Amino acid sequence: MKNNILVIGGGPAGLEASANLKRMGYNVILIEKESKLGGHLAKWDRLFPDGVSARKTLEALTDEIRGVNCFTETQVQSLNILDKSYNAILSNGITVLADAVLLSSGFDLFKAEKKEEYGYGIYEGVITNADLEKAFREKKMPLNEPRAIGFVHCVGSRDEKAGNPACSKVCCATAVKQACEIKEVYPNADVYCFYMDLRMFGRHYEDLYLKAQKEFGIRFIRGRVSEVAEMADGRLQVKAEDTLSSKPIRVTLDMLVLMAGMRPSEAGRSVGRQINLTTEDDGFFSSEDNLLAIQKSKLPGFFYAGACTGPKTLPDTLHEARSAALEIDRYIKENTREK
Amino acid sequence: MKSIMIAAAQSVTPSGIIDRYPNSYNHFVLPFVIGISFIIVYLLIGLIRVLYHLTGEDRMKLLKSLFIPKTALKNIRDIFCDCLIHTKIWKRKPLLGYMHSAIAFGWFMLIVLGHLEVALFAPRHLEGITEGSLYYPIFYRFFIWMNPAHETLRGTVFFFLMDFFLLYVLSGIALAMFKRVRSIALGMRHTTKPSLADRVALYSLWAIFPLRLLAEGFTADLSGGSFLTKPVNWMFKAFFGNELNFMPTWWAYSICLGLFFLAMPFSRYMHILTEPLLILFRNAGLKVRKPRKGFAEAEIYACSSCGLCIDACPMNTQKKNLKYSSVYFIRFLRRHNNRKINEIADKCLMCGKCAAICPVGVNSPEIRRVQRETLNNNLKFDYSYLDSTSAIEKPKANGKILYFAGCMSHLTPKIIKSVESILKASGNEYEFMDKDKGICCGRPLMLSGKTEAARKTIEANRKLIEESGCTTLLVSCPICLKVFKEEYNLKGIRVIHYTQFVDNLVKEGRLSISKTSMSMVYHDPCELGRGCGIYDEPRHALESIGELKKAPKERDESMCCGYSLGSLTLDDKDRGKIAESAVENLLTNKPDCIVTACPMCYRAIRSKSTVPVKDFAEIFCDNIKLWD
Repeated sequence: MKNNILVIGGGPAGLEASANLKRMGYNVILIEKESKLGGHLAKWDRLFPDGVSARKTLEALTDEIRGVNCFTETQVQSLNILDKSYNAILSNGITVLADAVLLSSGFDLFKAEKKEEYGYGIYEGVITNADLEKAFREKKMPLNEPRAIGFVHCVGSRDEKAGNPACSKVCCATAVKQACEIKEVYPNADVYCFYMDLRMFGRHYEDLYLKAQKEFGIRFIRGRVSEVAEMADGRLQVKAEDTLSSKPIRVTLDMLVLMAGMRPSEAGRSVGRQINLTTEDDGFFSSEDNLLAIQKSKLPGFFYAGACTGPKTLPDTLHEARSAALEIDRYIKENTREK
Repeated sequence: MKSIMIAAAQSVTPSGIIDRYPNSYNHFVLPFVIGISFIIVYLLIGLIRVLYHLTGEDRMKLLKSLFIPKTALKNIRDIFCDCLIHTKIWKRKPLLGYMHSAIAFGWFMLIVLGHLEVALFAPRHLEGITEGSLYYPIFYRFFIWMNPAHETLRGTVFFFLMDFFLLYVLSGIALAMFKRVRSIALGMRHTTKPSLADRVALYSLWAIFPLRLLAEGFTADLSGGSFLTKPVNWMFKAFFGNELNFMPTWWAYSICLGLFFLAMPFSRYMHILTEPLLILFRNAGLKVRKPRKGFAEAEIYACSSCGLCIDACPMNTQKKNLKYSSVYFIRFLRRHNNRKINEIADKCLMCGKCAAICPVGVNSPEIRRVQRETLNNNLKFDYSYLDSTSAIEKPKANGKILYFAGCMSHLTPKIIKSVESILKASGNEYEFMDKDKGICCGRPLMLSGKTEAARKTIEANRKLIEESGCTTLLVSCPICLKVFKEEYNLKGIRVIHYTQFVDNLVKEGRLSISKTSMSMVYHDPCELGRGCGIYDEPRHALESIGELKKAPKERDESMCCGYSLGSLTLDDKDRGKIAESAVENLLTNKPDCIVTACPMCYRAIRSKSTVPVKDFAEIFCDNIKLWD
């Protein structure tokens, strides 16, 4: 029994699912468009809520995929549905005849320059969550002795005008984590978080939030930032509303970090278009059932794992990858029995 | 029967015209007389009502305007061009223009020539109601017998002209019938559904002229005729013999006329009689003050329900939004359907395209604004902080340019950065009025009908601007520009948009521009183009940078980007759809980039465009030498 399974996307979901499918005895072909495996995880420094190293977490995942046929810098060029299998031509010239396909294309970060009022790409002091993680990872902090730093939650999430009314689920905890980390680097700086409401739903998230206030003295301001302007000395003037005191406020910052939310991966969507996969209004793929069968697409033999069906945390993604592996196993077995 | 009538002829005029009937009366004129009397009384009452609801000041303005030679001339020209010739429709859709002018101008000429004929040949019948002056000129051909031996050149010319204009009208009617079946052939994708009164009036209007042809044809051997009526007479004679029973056709003709006039006040055809009044009001410079009375009432009844605004409305990218078109807004206003009026008034983007293309020139966005006023002007507001001196810093700009960015420019900081760079590059000294704290220009408040609140912010801003000592007010947002121009009354201060400012710099050669091979298309923002009439300056300036391509719909037919502040209720999805179709229109000729000059349009178009979208100032910043 050496059925071919094609896994599209080598982030945490793709890695975890590949490892499990390999263990079950399948021939797994994993493709990743970037030169390195790991997706967004490979670009992150530390992970909430405990601050474990992203590098180590990724290593633990990649250790498990020995024996998986893994192609990096490879994309799907064309994908066709055959009778009971899928025929994929990859950009490296290889053709795969897969008995099942797992799409784990994940998410793209919202392009923060679309919210032009925050000045990303216009003012030097405005960066995104991903930029900050990169700075942490490379230990190259952009500032000397900053006096004040701000975080804007929900950039491109829960924002109808930005085209995404949904919550991106991970940004609140990420912002609190990053705020604590930045306070560790710059203990003398004032750190502000501008939030709508904090969604600290997971285990230890609330602890992190309390720690941020008690130990790190981070100031949480409930209200959205309205506009950002650059002053003559290059610092940023941020206008916002403090909705708890019902007053407009303005603060001067050295750096503003935008918590860009999750949008459906463009690479994933282009795969979906090849076989007319349906998406919901939010642009993420639609599952067969949002409660009972979130890993199943509406096409037989085509499965999902991770954020391609909506924003998810890392543990969620890993659980889904494992259960997708189980679903694929069941599907293959039922199909072969029919033969 | 005929011979008896002729025997009863009373008088013989020198030209050989003989009245065939005693008292010049026959019962068949009754339907027409009833109809015309009804419409005259209705019009008089309507006119008094409309004038009564004007404010005293407006009435004086109107009265004075009638005696100003310039306005009076304009009145005459507008009435002739708009009501009779329909030049506006001709320009857009020639076939549709022909149809309208054929019916309007043709009919008008028939009436004028008919009266002239009577004045020349039977002047007695114009002397008073008792002599039949109400109906006699209309049915002139019925009442007379013309002695063929006395035929004069003058008479023949009239016969010819009457037949010629009848043919002209008939060709228009034929087109109108064809249009009912296939409106697209005359350039209309959507047209309105007629109401019952519309149908009655419509069908009687269609019937009037063919029946007139028949009626005059039947009597052409007695009263004379020309190339159209004579052949009809011969043809029917050939069929029915010499004894033509012409009474039924004259009855039918009269009944149709009567029906038309009776249905008229309740139908779209009221526009024929109301449009001249609207032209007088408009040229007198009156403003809409109430959504259903006075000036607005004239506009409502001047709407011809033609439905050209349906195709023009940017919301029509989705069929479900067709119902928000101006024509339906006016229709519901006319019917006092309050629930629907408010819904439609709030939905509108106020882009002004319907008003720009309206053949009658009904400014329905303005009526919508006033309608919003009835609900929103009484909402509570508190701008007391504007009076405290500490809240707002006073700008000092003695003899300099004062730059007002406005809130939308503040949300698109690239625009502000670019405008400031251009100001510096051109060596102009300036003061940034709302760099840190600023007051709303008032336009969003005006648009939502909160006029009183708007007056507060306008007054506060006006004081700041006038006291700053500036000579020029430079604005980067067309939304602000419109209100600065229309409501501020800034004496001695030039209010200009940055497109005009840059165009001036280009003309004076004060910017060192590096011309590129890039092709661009320019999107006309509603408030800048239709709102302030600025179409040429941005285009002229852009031509100095690269190749400017055309879009199928541009200038006053430009499409709204969908994100106008004007709409109070349109949701984001619908707006997105409008933005998509606006982008599609702009990309028709495959330009390398889209340029616009409004922060709102810039954001909207950028969110949907597949090619780069640049702000007008930004593209200049990219292509000029900023500092030596």
